[in-house]
Amino acid sequence: MDTLLLARLQFATTTSIHFLFVVVTLGLVTLLVGMQTAWVITGNPAWERLTRYWGQLYVINYVLGIATGIVMEFQFGLNWSGLSRYVGNVFGAPLAIETLVAFFLESTFLGMWIFGWHRLRKGVHLALLWGVALTAYASAFWIMVANSWLQNPVGYELRDGIAHLTDFGALLTNPSLGMAFGHVVSAALLVGGMLMAAVSAWHLIRRTPDFVLFRTSLRIGLVTAALAITLVQGFGFAQFGPVGAVQPTKFGQGPEAQAMVAEWTARFGPGDYTPPVLASVGLGFMILIGLTLGCVWLLLPLLFRDWIIRLRFPLWLILLALPLPFVAVILGWISREVGRQPWVAYGLLPTEQAVSPVGAPVMLASLIGFSLLLGTLAVTNWVLLARHAARGAVDPALGRPPAPPNEPAHPEPALA
Amino acid sequence: MDLAWYALLGLFFGAYLVLAGYDYGVGLLLARGGGPAGRRAALTALGPFFLGNEVWLVAAVGILFGAFPILEGELLSGCYPAVAGALAGVVLVTAGVQLRSRPTDERIRARWDRVVVVGSVLAALGWGVLLAALLQGVPRQADGHVAGVSHLATPFAAAAGLAMVALIAVHGATFLTLRLPAADAAVVGRSARRLVPVALTAVALATVVGLLSARVRESVQRPAVAVLLPVLLVAALLVARAALARRRPGWALVATGAALALPVALVGAALWPYVLVSTTDPGASLTVADAAASAPTLRLLGWVALPLLPALLGFQAMCWWVFRGRTDGRAPVYW
Repeated sequence: MDTLLLARLQFATTTSIHFLFVVVTLGLVTLLVGMQTAWVITGNPAWERLTRYWGQLYVINYVLGIATGIVMEFQFGLNWSGLSRYVGNVFGAPLAIETLVAFFLESTFLGMWIFGWHRLRKGVHLALLWGVALTAYASAFWIMVANSWLQNPVGYELRDGIAHLTDFGALLTNPSLGMAFGHVVSAALLVGGMLMAAVSAWHLIRRTPDFVLFRTSLRIGLVTAALAITLVQGFGFAQFGPVGAVQPTKFGQGPEAQAMVAEWTARFGPGDYTPPVLASVGLGFMILIGLTLGCVWLLLPLLFRDWIIRLRFPLWLILLALPLPFVAVILGWISREVGRQPWVAYGLLPTEQAVSPVGAPVMLASLIGFSLLLGTLAVTNWVLLARHAARGAVDPALGRPPAPPNEPAHPEPALA
Repeated sequence: MDLAWYALLGLFFGAYLVLAGYDYGVGLLLARGGGPAGRRAALTALGPFFLGNEVWLVAAVGILFGAFPILEGELLSGCYPAVAGALAGVVLVTAGVQLRSRPTDERIRARWDRVVVVGSVLAALGWGVLLAALLQGVPRQADGHVAGVSHLATPFAAAAGLAMVALIAVHGATFLTLRLPAADAAVVGRSARRLVPVALTAVALATVVGLLSARVRESVQRPAVAVLLPVLLVAALLVARAALARRRPGWALVATGAALALPVALVGAALWPYVLVSTTDPGASLTVADAAASAPTLRLLGWVALPLLPALLGFQAMCWWVFRGRTDGRAPVYW
């Protein structure tokens, strides 16, 4: 096996697992901000219970987002040292900004939010969650800036084969950025809304206690999902124009794509410049799922007088549809990333030049080791999420009031 | 400009070792028993700081990528096993600490705690070996790539890895002495004092092996600075021991923290103006200036970092201030 294939497999595995968790993070935190803000403004304890229940699921999900994210960040250097060597001057900047502006603060705020219940003033505690949410969006933005640069390198000049930054503004106005960022963010909202609706539907089907709580979150989740799916579709279709203009070979075989291939053949020598068919297949199925999920709008009228709960079968539909948005985000990511092949930076740096010159055994060991590690952690995390989702909103560990002072913190066995 | 960014990189990586160092130290000490309640109390002591500690690593690697792209590619891929090991350790600790209390079954929690112990050891070993790899030089060829990974397998790298594990254990025990309720702190304070001689032995061993290693002697550009490193480490450890004996855990933590920050600062200074010294081809050594990104990139990052640094430090300081003091029965429990 060659190192290029192994490195690509490892990146695909890590990114896919990472993406499944970060879309939930981004979607849920938005809804949490709404719930906690409602709690602080109205003082209604129902909103506090909602915040604690969904907050706990959010925090469990966040763990794997960080774990996979750290591995991703290191992978650029471990497996793709050519990327930093040839285009690091430009591509590294948005990534560095992301870690400082966004992730650093996001995690710091989240630590204080988790441990700040009953300790910080309500307003400060809420501000921390707002901070977590804003930095999460900033994180998504800067990662998309970096990714869009790989899709369509701009704002640089080549000197001795090395890209140097000339115009940072061009990275921010990259035609492959704007609509894609909107698309990813609304996909995250869709995932968050669908997750909330599906978990609530499960509780309503099982007739667990807390009918009112899960009725509320079902409604919030469904309305969010409906609004989000429309945005997803809008931003998605709006991308065809700009992507077709800057990446003609991605989905097309037309004259522009052929002209591009002819130009590359002249500059880089003959080669296979057509992306694998997987990109178009991914795109096709994603669009299919996206259109199917548009049917969420049909369920909204049933919110009237709780018909959605009384009829029960809509609850089953929501529950069964939960995997769809997750599959769709992976397919979308595949079509964006695989559609860029055989380039790591489109038309600038071929993927095979970016891979690190490490031996195949090292790369294979790394692929197997990290895939097993992250795969096992991901499955464990989903099991924990499912258990906590099923356990219901009775006294989640997040935001539990401290033990009364007359009780010792660590009770000793009486006969020890 | 290069120097400022190099110092900032050192600051972030050093702060990571100091702050996450006590996470790993506490993680390591979960192995010493103390029962379910004792282990939970140790993790509660980490509590609010845990998430804000490892972000220093993420930011350090972000700076490494943004400001020193060439170094990023060569250092990480050239020291693949050390970095991958440390990374696996970081992942295990981050997942273990945050997930261990989600199941209610104590046996499953104990299993997660073993995951944290293994992760802590891996992380400490990995970073120790990486620092040793810098000090002993790498086989960087004329084409700019580091050849192979067998250059890591030296007695000095092993000794440095073990020394890092010992330093982190002392640091973790000192942190618990500062944070746990007074009754538990006395017990863990005694362990911390007993761990100091272990760390001294490990540092002495690494020093001797390093002095005997021809690679280390040839790679180091400023021998005086390199010799200063073990001297200062021993001094810091002795100060920590004295402070622990006088029940001044705050000062002891400052000393053990210094012991973790010193290797980063002094390895950087001892190699200056190089960062990767080639053992095979002196012409292929990488200087800090050559490793740095070009001027427009550094200028842009400078404009971003300048107003941001006070905010980053401020919010971290807010976290330390809000949750200062010893944990007690009213401390929030989540991990």
